[in-house]
Amino acid sequence: MRTRGGIIVANIIAGLALGYTVANIGFGDYAELNRMFTFQDLRMLLAFAGAVAIIVVVFAVLRVRRTPGRIHAGVIPGAVLFGTGWAISGGCPAIPIVQVASGYLPALVTIAGIVVGIRLCRWANARYFHLDSGSCER
Amino acid sequence: MTEYWPWWAGAAGLALTTINYAVTTDRSFGVSGAWDRVLHWRAERRVERVNAQFADERVLTEALVAATADQFGAGSAAPALHLDTRTPGQDARPPAAASSSLARLLPAPLVSQVALLLAVFVGGWVAAVTTGRFQLRLDMGDAFGQIVTDKPIAMIGTLFVGGVLVGFGTRLAGGCSSGHGLNGCGRLQPVSIVATAVFFGTGVLVSFLLWKVI
Repeated sequence: MRTRGGIIVANIIAGLALGYTVANIGFGDYAELNRMFTFQDLRMLLAFAGAVAIIVVVFAVLRVRRTPGRIHAGVIPGAVLFGTGWAISGGCPAIPIVQVASGYLPALVTIAGIVVGIRLCRWANARYFHLDSGSCER
Repeated sequence: MTEYWPWWAGAAGLALTTINYAVTTDRSFGVSGAWDRVLHWRAERRVERVNAQFADERVLTEALVAATADQFGAGSAAPALHLDTRTPGQDARPPAAASSSLARLLPAPLVSQVALLLAVFVGGWVAAVTTGRFQLRLDMGDAFGQIVTDKPIAMIGTLFVGGVLVGFGTRLAGGCSSGHGLNGCGRLQPVSIVATAVFFGTGVLVSFLLWKVI
């Protein structure tokens, strides 16, 4: 599965599974999201934390290698902006896709915002920040 | 309409998705990174072409030698040739291992990132339809109306600004809830643990403000 075709198939499987799971957990539902962030309902929080716990144990047993990435000046300000955006719009980069797929048409506006934000970040980084932001996806 | 999954089913689903990807590809996936690369597809295509051209180390060495010769004359290229003089030990290295370690350093093919985003849509759609939750609507639900805003213009503005913050923030931080949250925290990467703690903490703070204050 480490050939070009294998990686494409793996991404299709991961995308299908992620979209299906995220929608069934209820991450696309703003009511559930606000209840998670305000600790009124721990269900989604436990789903996320539980997933991380399982992954940590399985990766440790399988000795999965670490991916490149170090703490740089953009991590904390970026995470603050992301957390704010997530709380007010109800969207992390995958969720608006799931929202549109569930029929929430205004989430197309969230996607448009994400498109602008991502393009703005690469432009601003090249021009002003010059961070080797060592993206975590490899 | 069926209920949302209990927490343990959600945890199992997210964990299985992440572990399956890591085991089959020896990589980490991230939705914000996929967006970033798909939106900058022109630049990414250029990078892919260059990477393909220099996939073979020897081709790179020859290209460097040729470029040096072009720039400074044929004689000056001689020192570069020492790159090719290998000790017998180095030659014994199996070429397959070398190429797979090189492939591991390259980003996933651009087309796979397009596939990831489209597959998220299809997966979400199947879930919505099979549970009876699919409904075309022009609002974001009752809770959004009560907690954030119920005026259409303000809603559009909030969603757009929120989207810009999400897009800018995830790329500045180098990942989102899938890249840092699941894949990075799962690998106990310090950068991902810091990023996840900060974006989650900010989400909590802003959500309390929206719920209690505004």
